[in-house]
Amino acid sequence: MTPSPELIHELRASRPSAPAELRARVRAVASERPARAPWASWRLPARRGLLVAVPAAAALAVASAGVLGVARSDSPQAVSQGSLEKSTLQTASPEYDTSTAGQGARSQTQPAPLTTDERAQRVSATLTVEVKDANAVSHAAQSALDLTRSLGGYVVASSVATGEEGSASITVRVPVNKVQAAIAGLSDLGRLVSQQVTIDDLQQSLDELTRREATTRTQIARIRARLESESLDPQTEAVLRARLQTLRTELVSIRRGLAATNAEARMSTIQVSVVTPDASGAAAPSSRIDRTIDEALNVLAWEGVVALGLLIVLAPFALVGLAAWVGRRVYRRHEEERLLAT
Amino acid sequence: MTLDAPRPLDSTTSSFASVAEELLDDVYGYLLYLTKNWAVAEDLTGETFEAAFKKWRRFDPGRGTPRAWLLAIARSTALDWFRADARRRKREERAGAMERSGELTTFGEGFSAELAASLQWLSAGEREVLALRVVLDLDGEETARLLGISVTAVSTRLSRALSKLEERMRDHDAVA
Repeated sequence: MTPSPELIHELRASRPSAPAELRARVRAVASERPARAPWASWRLPARRGLLVAVPAAAALAVASAGVLGVARSDSPQAVSQGSLEKSTLQTASPEYDTSTAGQGARSQTQPAPLTTDERAQRVSATLTVEVKDANAVSHAAQSALDLTRSLGGYVVASSVATGEEGSASITVRVPVNKVQAAIAGLSDLGRLVSQQVTIDDLQQSLDELTRREATTRTQIARIRARLESESLDPQTEAVLRARLQTLRTELVSIRRGLAATNAEARMSTIQVSVVTPDASGAAAPSSRIDRTIDEALNVLAWEGVVALGLLIVLAPFALVGLAAWVGRRVYRRHEEERLLAT
Repeated sequence: MTLDAPRPLDSTTSSFASVAEELLDDVYGYLLYLTKNWAVAEDLTGETFEAAFKKWRRFDPGRGTPRAWLLAIARSTALDWFRADARRRKREERAGAMERSGELTTFGEGFSAELAASLQWLSAGEREVLALRVVLDLDGEETARLLGISVTAVSTRLSRALSKLEERMRDHDAVA
């Protein structure tokens, strides 16, 4: 049904005009100078605030990641720690131990200096060298064996695996006076990834064994003298002979211990692992820019994790808030319709 | 007397005072149709401009015209009044008041007797859409945005309001 033009005309013709009093009142309101809150010029509507806050937060996150990335890239160790394993020392009382990890520089492939005094020591070393591929692993393993023999040492164990990710594990013993040369030679097989040298002092136990040997020998000599010089009753003689036998057995054991300790002090044990980059998972030494990017990405990832965590924690509250907001809107809409239906 | 604008309305030198001067009749007319009481409409118009004056710095010309912005404030003010009025009526009903106060419904000057009488039969919502679409000549989209309903709902409500009003005016003529 089309409304009559007369009705429309009448409605428009009777358009109300505000009375003079009301006009004067509104003019008075408009002529007031508004009291401005100090923060008034900084206030933003919620949507605009969000439009500013979200990019600002993102920019802050990226900027902080960049700054932290630059700051942390100063230390190359920060990168290598993730990719290189560093053995744990298990020495009871090492007089000296040293280890290096992740050093690709030629100057750092030198073996750690060893003690030069004449004390008996057990020297053991663990080296990891990286070669370019599986073929190089075989060559390096063979070179390690040749080097060991040339230094008067021998191979205790050897395991060489070829294939896409070749690796070799070789345990050798070399005379302790050649250990520095051995470590230097073995380090030159490839890029030295890690090095650990452990030295245990054996002199104390060697001295103790020597003292016990002397004591035992003295006791044996005394008993033999009594058996040869004195006329003993059969019971005493039997006791002395039994004691002599025990001391002789003990002396043999002590001498074996001395021999073993001396052997231990004469020969050092070196364990060499030869790996390829794929097998070791070690990356080539990266440039500062690469490290900065890596660190920045790392920080960004952590920021993302924190943001996700916050999101997970706050999401239920946000959903409840959203539901309450929607519910309030629906309620007010119904209420408005009810009010305006009268 | 005009007030220097704390913030320009657009590229022109519009001020709140000039906007108020220009749109006062619109706001008053809208509120008169909505409340069908000139005294209440005057009060609410005053409240509307006071509230608008306080919020003037936050007005964003990019999001709508000053008229739509002022009418939205007027509507919110009127709805508050309707709520308060409904509560007052409930209280009176509970108290068993025989005499209902404030039930004065007068459109004031400018309305013919039959138009004023016929408008009484429309609901506030129907009078509201008449005021916006016919009297103030807002387009369908602007009206829909202001009322928070669809354009179709605005058309339907307007059509119903006009039919009802026309019917009542015909009846009034017939009785006369």
